[in-house]
Amino acid sequence: MARTPYPKQQFHRLKWTALSEATITARLAPVAAAGPAHASTLSNALSGETLRIVTDKGPSLTYRFRSDDRLTVAQDGGRAVQAGYGALDLGKVTFFAHLIPGTMQGFAVVMDQASGMATVFELWFGGQQEKREVSRAIWHGYVDRAGREPPAARNVATNRIEGKGFYWKQDTGAETLEFYPSATYSHFVELTRTGGELGFCGPSDYIKIDDETYIYTRTESEFSGIFTIYVIDLNRLEQVGLRLGFDAADKVDYYVFRGNGEWLGQIAQFEKFGDTSGGPALPRPGATGQDNTDPDAKGARAIYRPLKTYPKMTKAEVDAAVAKSRRIFVPPASGSGASGMAVNGAPSSGGLAGKTMTVRYDDGPAMEYRFDKADSLRWRMNGAGDWTTARYQAWESAPGVFILGHLLEGAPNHDGHMVVIDLDHGLATCFNGFVNTPFYANEAGVKTWFGTVEAENIVPPKYRRHEHTDELLGRALTWNYAPGLTSMHLYSTPNTVSWIIFTDTGAGGMEWSGPGEFVKIRDDLYFAYWLEEACNGTLGTILINMRTMHDAGIGYHCGPEGLSMSQVGAHSRHAGKFDIAKYFAIKTEGGKA
Amino acid sequence: MTTEAVPSRRSFLKGGVMLAPFVAAPAAALAPDDSRSRLTRLEAEMAARSLHADLLRRINTGDRIGAAALFADPRSARIDANWITVAAAADAEPDAIDVSADGRRACGRHVCMVETISAMALDSTFAQMAYAQGGGHVRQTERKVMIVDYVRNEAGWAIGQVQLTSA
Repeated sequence: MARTPYPKQQFHRLKWTALSEATITARLAPVAAAGPAHASTLSNALSGETLRIVTDKGPSLTYRFRSDDRLTVAQDGGRAVQAGYGALDLGKVTFFAHLIPGTMQGFAVVMDQASGMATVFELWFGGQQEKREVSRAIWHGYVDRAGREPPAARNVATNRIEGKGFYWKQDTGAETLEFYPSATYSHFVELTRTGGELGFCGPSDYIKIDDETYIYTRTESEFSGIFTIYVIDLNRLEQVGLRLGFDAADKVDYYVFRGNGEWLGQIAQFEKFGDTSGGPALPRPGATGQDNTDPDAKGARAIYRPLKTYPKMTKAEVDAAVAKSRRIFVPPASGSGASGMAVNGAPSSGGLAGKTMTVRYDDGPAMEYRFDKADSLRWRMNGAGDWTTARYQAWESAPGVFILGHLLEGAPNHDGHMVVIDLDHGLATCFNGFVNTPFYANEAGVKTWFGTVEAENIVPPKYRRHEHTDELLGRALTWNYAPGLTSMHLYSTPNTVSWIIFTDTGAGGMEWSGPGEFVKIRDDLYFAYWLEEACNGTLGTILINMRTMHDAGIGYHCGPEGLSMSQVGAHSRHAGKFDIAKYFAIKTEGGKA
Repeated sequence: MTTEAVPSRRSFLKGGVMLAPFVAAPAAALAPDDSRSRLTRLEAEMAARSLHADLLRRINTGDRIGAAALFADPRSARIDANWITVAAAADAEPDAIDVSADGRRACGRHVCMVETISAMALDSTFAQMAYAQGGGHVRQTERKVMIVDYVRNEAGWAIGQVQLTSA
């Protein structure tokens, strides 16, 4: 029986088991004693050595490496304990990792054998609300060797590898695409583990050893909680690192790995020239989508947890909320929702006023329209029933191409149509937004329909349609919606939109992602959506004009305050493109890319 | 007659006050009463400029209580919490200070660059994420005219009220 690589549910839809501390401790015990699994031969560089690692603000660790997989370690002069460990070398860097038997704690250590500098990653389970999620604290220091002066310098948090992207293949066979479009988050696509349909995001650390050697970490917060750390050699495209956590089947994932990479590219950075600073943002108590973590707690950092504060509604609650309030393109001051998302939006167009047409979708309805005014239309579905008046807004993004949106009043799932109409070619594409979806009733869903426009003087094509495109795949576009509100989209798979929010200093900050689709309307004109699944439930639709570098779009959202359709509009900059199309080609040999 | 004005003028110059309009005045034409009223006016202007400089310094250092203390009635001091910095516009005309005939009130017109910060409505995913990482606000610098009413009471000169208008 053939097997597909796709999971039954993607990471953001899985119900991750709430493992208890007792369960975690019990499952770690055997691997703590044995040491991490490994596919490559372990390094024996440390075998027989005794050394002490001194950190500036963290623990002092005294190691005795009894062999290439057994050590004893004493923390801060305490009692030495035995543990299994695994070490791997990458040029002048030796990386090793171990757990502390009988606890939920472990360490990953990066030693620069040339400079003597070291960075210790203290790792522990049980530090977050989900006990399975690995916490980390980072301690910079040095290797204290007899007769050797401690180095004055330290490894440092940096933004120097922000904007890079890699394909990695571990010695385990696992293949990933990994992007660093932020100084504090990263984005990863599991090509082999889950088939590469969607990319996901996690809080990350970026630490500079030297100009070609960096340390990267990622915690799969909100998902498995697995922690990944590796040292990267940028020139040789090699990595050595550790993966620690519990997988979707709650099995321990604890192994050191070696990997080889491919260069995907470098996109732009937007900090001021000369700014190479890095390091995470601290938690902001009270912020939406966050723990109320103490900013002074060990290892504290801002972690985006959107589902935590998302108001989850039933169908009855949705229906009641929509019955109470439908805000369709009302001015932002009236609380249309997403008030800051269109300060830089283009003015709406009255170009459809006075026109009548039928938009006939191949796999959807035939929508008859009478555009009575610049903001008022009547619609009828499938040539039957009464005409319904609706408020709409339209924007003419390119000559003859309009994006328009309206609510289908009375539709059982409160549908909103976001439509791109090309009057010069008689073509239309609709992102049909709706609610009453399976996971949370107020979370938006979307169907994509291709079709034609029938109107006076328009003869639509018989076979031609707008089509999905991979021309945006790998691209990163910034979007300045309003002063102080700028994001960057990264189109990391044919079905993913990731968004990165810039900090006040222009660094990439928090990042999240959701499903998306991309339709080519004309050259340099694309219709796309992102869906905030397991996040804020919004459907964002935008018509991207890569000549004017401006979008025109519509957000569709439902919450306790009701349903809204509101303008989205921003000025764009092209941050660059990662070369990733080949990783998504479906080839005939066994269906593998 | 004019000699009385000279020391005052020097003291103003030490304080960095612009005196071009007064230097240009035909000093020899001044009558004793003119001279007294001019001195009163110059003292009022100096006090107003000094108060304005103090106000800006205290706003810019975040000393809101100290800034309010410059007002005749500190409790009614209206200093917008959104102001981060207020600085004299480098290319503006010199501040204009009009002093009332009785020398007890003055009105200053100061062209300023005002940097403000205002909280963003957290009604979108992106705004919420920006807030969570320490942002979620809008910083803007605008050219404004600060109209300041100064009053002279028993304790000396103080600020009556402050108003910002479009430049």
